[in-house]
Amino acid sequence: MFYRLSGVYHSSLISDSRMFKVPADRNLAVFLLLIGLAAPFILPSLYLNSYILPWLIWTAAALGLNLVTGWAGQLHLGYAAVMAVGAYSAIHTVRLGVPWEIALIIGGLAASVIGSLFAFAALRVKGLYLALTTLAMQFVMDWVLTHSPTISGGSHSSLQAPTLALLGQQITSDAGYYYVALGWCVLVTIFMLNLKRTGLGRALVAVREKDFAAAILGVNSFYYKILAFAASSFIAGVSGALLVATFYFLAAPEQFSVNVSIQVLAMVIVGGLGSIIGSYFGVALILLVPGLVNGLVVTASEELGMQVNVETLAHIPNAVYGALIVIILMIEPLGLGKLYGNIRDYLMTWPFDQLRK
Amino acid sequence: MTTLSNKPILECTGIERRFGGIVAVTGVDLVIQRGEIFGLVGPNGSGKTTLTNAITGFYPPNEGTVRLAGKNITGTAPHKVAKLGVARTFQNLALFNGMSVLDNILLGRHIHMHPGVFRTAFYWWAARPEEVQNRKIVEEVIEFLQLESIRYELVDGLPIGLKKRVELARALVAEPQMLILDEPMAGMNQEEKGYMSRFILDARDERGVSVLLIEHHMDVIIGICDRVLALNYGEMIASGIPKDVVKDPRVIEAYIGGSHG
Repeated sequence: MFYRLSGVYHSSLISDSRMFKVPADRNLAVFLLLIGLAAPFILPSLYLNSYILPWLIWTAAALGLNLVTGWAGQLHLGYAAVMAVGAYSAIHTVRLGVPWEIALIIGGLAASVIGSLFAFAALRVKGLYLALTTLAMQFVMDWVLTHSPTISGGSHSSLQAPTLALLGQQITSDAGYYYVALGWCVLVTIFMLNLKRTGLGRALVAVREKDFAAAILGVNSFYYKILAFAASSFIAGVSGALLVATFYFLAAPEQFSVNVSIQVLAMVIVGGLGSIIGSYFGVALILLVPGLVNGLVVTASEELGMQVNVETLAHIPNAVYGALIVIILMIEPLGLGKLYGNIRDYLMTWPFDQLRK
Repeated sequence: MTTLSNKPILECTGIERRFGGIVAVTGVDLVIQRGEIFGLVGPNGSGKTTLTNAITGFYPPNEGTVRLAGKNITGTAPHKVAKLGVARTFQNLALFNGMSVLDNILLGRHIHMHPGVFRTAFYWWAARPEEVQNRKIVEEVIEFLQLESIRYELVDGLPIGLKKRVELARALVAEPQMLILDEPMAGMNQEEKGYMSRFILDARDERGVSVLLIEHHMDVIIGICDRVLALNYGEMIASGIPKDVVKDPRVIEAYIGGSHG
């Protein structure tokens, strides 16, 4: 309908390697970006900062995990630990008087170093064993965080993040926080879109699909796995730091605990392994749907005049969203990104879809 | 031929490869000259694929040496052997099914590219010139192997004949000195075999690659190979001009179990 392949011709190799080859996709992306930029003027700041902002930062984080799990095919159950490394190193760096811009990069690099160190040990094993090794890494980080007061500010305590300041500008307004989150998410998305069309992305997919075939093409699988872990950990580190700086404001060990790791992995899998738009959907589902269902249940019970006790109210959203995950993965194992792709492909040929086999 | 060095492109001496107590290949000597199409024949399980795996580093030989253009590459890791200019295809195909034909072939250019995180992040300035330049070379090979119409299709849905051709394209874009083809015509009909033979001959004539060809189709071996080596139970049983080798009683016995039928 709005999508059309016919009439779209690429007459040069540069135009054939564009980020969005179909004009409709490009227009949609520009439109969404404009909405994103205008959001502070449209949405009340409660919605903006308690829903949209975490959605954007978690999407950036999920894209980082997608890089290592979706692209390079390495299961990672310690992702929250890597985010924690980034968050704590960035905050401590800022507390030492270093500007935020540099602190964010240091946080990312610290996460990158720790993440790839663990990967070094972990990459001797594959599949489930790798998952378990990364899980162990998560527990080690948890333990370190809760047991070293110099890092976490002590057991059961939290670390205050200094006020965010970028380019010499103190950021304290809700819109300011939002724009920082949006900027980071856009940067990571652009990186991932570029990954789709460069040799690095192809090499990672090669390593994921058939490592012996990758080897005969000259792809050193070990090197590219480490590279994937390093790049993904960098994204995790900066995302973790920004999450604390713009959303939590206090860093506490339980914000980066093992169930957070599993939640990010769920976001990536429900969204679709190797799908960029899917990560947006996946994060939205896991982050926003429970609250949404909660609101619906409350409204419905008030409308119908039914008494719902607090316990039921707490469990219904969890049950609904658990069921949603199961249903989505049963309909389309490749996740929400693939579902979106199916609709897009259908519209691409509509109303001539009967001509296709 | 005179401009190139006179050293043989590939030289294997006394190759032996054992798996536990099983000797898969033993005492194999092999010399392939530049620009030669060299056939490797033998019944199933005679060690042909093991020999190629020994050359490309998947199963380093237990004994013997492999020299590529005079350089000792015995036991070098596969991805390094690829960088030295050896490309190969696999008997059961080793394409990446989730990728398009184009991306598969572009991966063949990997050893000539420098992918990295920063190049990816700054695509427009750092990666695009390289991507476009390599894409041009890929497009030449796509044209050469007549794959234009399926460029953007996923490899997964292609018929086997085309898949084999895509794999050959992926090996050719690497601009190898030595091309190892492991049964490139298995499961093909007569017409597809004709096409494939023509592609292999053209690759040698136009692109100057030397070819090690494993094949069971004797018409192809006789038709396009310059010399042939026959293996049986991991040992060399005959070598020389294809016509003589296929008449050799030991080869006939290995294949059909006795020449006095």
